[in-house]
Amino acid sequence: MSVEMELRAAACRLLEEGTVDLFIGWERGSLPASAVPVFITDPADADRLVFDITCGTNPAVYFTKDHRQFDGKRVGLALKGCDSRAMVQNIMEKQVEREKVVMIGVPCRGVLDRRRVALAADGREVLELSDLGDAVRLSGRGFDVEAPREAILADSCLACAHPDASVADLFLGAPGGMEDAGERRLRRVREYEALSPAERWERTVLEYGKCIRCYACRNVCPSCYCEVCFVDQNDPRWIGGTCEITDTLIFHLIRNLHVAGRCVECGACARACPAGVDLLLLNRKVAIEVLERFGEEAGMEIGAKPIMADFREDEKQEFIMG
Amino acid sequence: MLDRTALGRFISVLAGSYDVHAPVTACDGSFEYAPVRTAEGLDGTRTVTGLSPKGIFFPKDEVLFQYDGDGIRSGEASCRPIAVWGMRGCDARSLALLDRVFGSAVQKPGEERFQDPYWKARYDGAVIFGAVCVKPLSTCFCNWFGGSPSSTEGMDVQVTDLGDAFLLAPVTPEGEELLGRMDMLTQAADTDLDASREVAHRAGAMMSPPFSLEGLDRRLPELFHDPAWAGIAAPCVNCGACTFACPTCHCFDVQDEGRNGRGRRLRVWDSCMFSSFTLEASGHNPRARSLERVRQRVMHKFSYFPANYGERLCTGCGRCVAVCPVGFDIRKVLRGLGAPRDLKKD
Repeated sequence: MSVEMELRAAACRLLEEGTVDLFIGWERGSLPASAVPVFITDPADADRLVFDITCGTNPAVYFTKDHRQFDGKRVGLALKGCDSRAMVQNIMEKQVEREKVVMIGVPCRGVLDRRRVALAADGREVLELSDLGDAVRLSGRGFDVEAPREAILADSCLACAHPDASVADLFLGAPGGMEDAGERRLRRVREYEALSPAERWERTVLEYGKCIRCYACRNVCPSCYCEVCFVDQNDPRWIGGTCEITDTLIFHLIRNLHVAGRCVECGACARACPAGVDLLLLNRKVAIEVLERFGEEAGMEIGAKPIMADFREDEKQEFIMG
Repeated sequence: MLDRTALGRFISVLAGSYDVHAPVTACDGSFEYAPVRTAEGLDGTRTVTGLSPKGIFFPKDEVLFQYDGDGIRSGEASCRPIAVWGMRGCDARSLALLDRVFGSAVQKPGEERFQDPYWKARYDGAVIFGAVCVKPLSTCFCNWFGGSPSSTEGMDVQVTDLGDAFLLAPVTPEGEELLGRMDMLTQAADTDLDASREVAHRAGAMMSPPFSLEGLDRRLPELFHDPAWAGIAAPCVNCGACTFACPTCHCFDVQDEGRNGRGRRLRVWDSCMFSSFTLEASGHNPRARSLERVRQRVMHKFSYFPANYGERLCTGCGRCVAVCPVGFDIRKVLRGLGAPRDLKKD
């Protein structure tokens, strides 16, 4: 049985048994080669569920901010590695009650980035995408091309160190479908660190200078759930609202620090950005910084304390001790 | 007719008197409007840019005025006139709609309105070279609003790409006058006109049939409390990308920056998707929930704006559909509202 069929069966069973009131997964979207989040309450609708390279949305976002629409309900979810880590992180931070969710891990081989799909098709609109495993076939009006899978995967997936769920009540299929790209993740950060201060500044400004201040990155982020975001506070106003680099960079730097040790690098921010900012540039850097300093990563273990809320005597304190 | 090899010269001559903007594919593959002085990077093969051209005339942020010890200075754009090359019909039409908001003196007959000097400084006197769409996308639905791949509303000159050459057809007297000053153009032959009609016809045939919105303006107010909104709004994460990419969304925030006797007043894009958008000083928020904000976006475009201006605030460019991280498709929503009983199953 395919993972997709197993997922449908599992969701159907959970709903029929009454173990959950609602199941969140993905269904076919209205655009070619797309999947969108779906909220299922009727077991008969479980057949709408799909799982493939198009299932990018991180469903953990629906448990935070003013989307706490499931309060009191028991919810089942299909989770990729990053999605599960975001759920675990939110459970650790007491945003989600563990006993109210049934987490179903699905084996992830990465999700596509629509921008990279367009790029792989030389800017032409892809009307059909078939997954051939290590390659994908892209076709549209007057073209039919094959591209390596890596050419269309989201950057977050290309450098994903944890493709499988960190915690799951049930895991469908066999974990380990995707090669651990932790090395590549580290290399990306090292490349950025190796730049001279002037080059690093140039690279950073080039990237974050594209920002149009729509805050889509913040809103799709499962870890961004401050009751009032600092950019929305206007008495006093903490940050200017322009797209000048002083303002945009302050926004991104503060957001980075707010999600330090909490960001699971799912890449939802980068995929949602209408201006094409590579938001993982700093998020990944901060995640590696946290890993090297504290030896931990976000969302790996439910019993653990949130990394930035914990203190151990053996932590590096060179900034105090000199 | 403009020979393809002469496009560079055409753009540079234009750039002599105008700030020229055109859709450009950047080295990272992104496809956006950008200032150009030559034909380098111009891309007529792709249809809809990631962001709309509204930012050329209504910037993401602009200084309304600045002040210091010497007094107040207007930040009004003193830019050179603007020309845009290669604008699609949906976008050209969106500017005409925005001009109803910012530029027109009259909203309804007899109602004098404020005219926005910042908008007028850029849009009045601008020249729009529109492009006939060759390949409409699956997200395109301009035909729902009376548009087509060969619409001319909001354009001064309509341009058809015929391969080796472009056919430039004046739409307004300003466009005609400008073309008259260009010495690299040649007279179009009848065969060119036929070829141009063929391009428009082929593109038109690629469009999916439109959904009729007849009567929706009147129905929508009755649907304000419809339970269907909960389902429509459920997946939305209020990220606002739709409103920022939209060519007709035009809500803005006014912010003051200042200290020690000097400062500036800014206008920046805002979005009805944000909870802070309607937050009142008392702390009350009339649109505190996502559902209310999603409903507002639909209502503003398809009920309130038509009531105020007689037209729907959408040109079917499809950007909101393409950009949405959760696949919210306004076409599906409108179809559902058109047949509310089937909404849940749509």
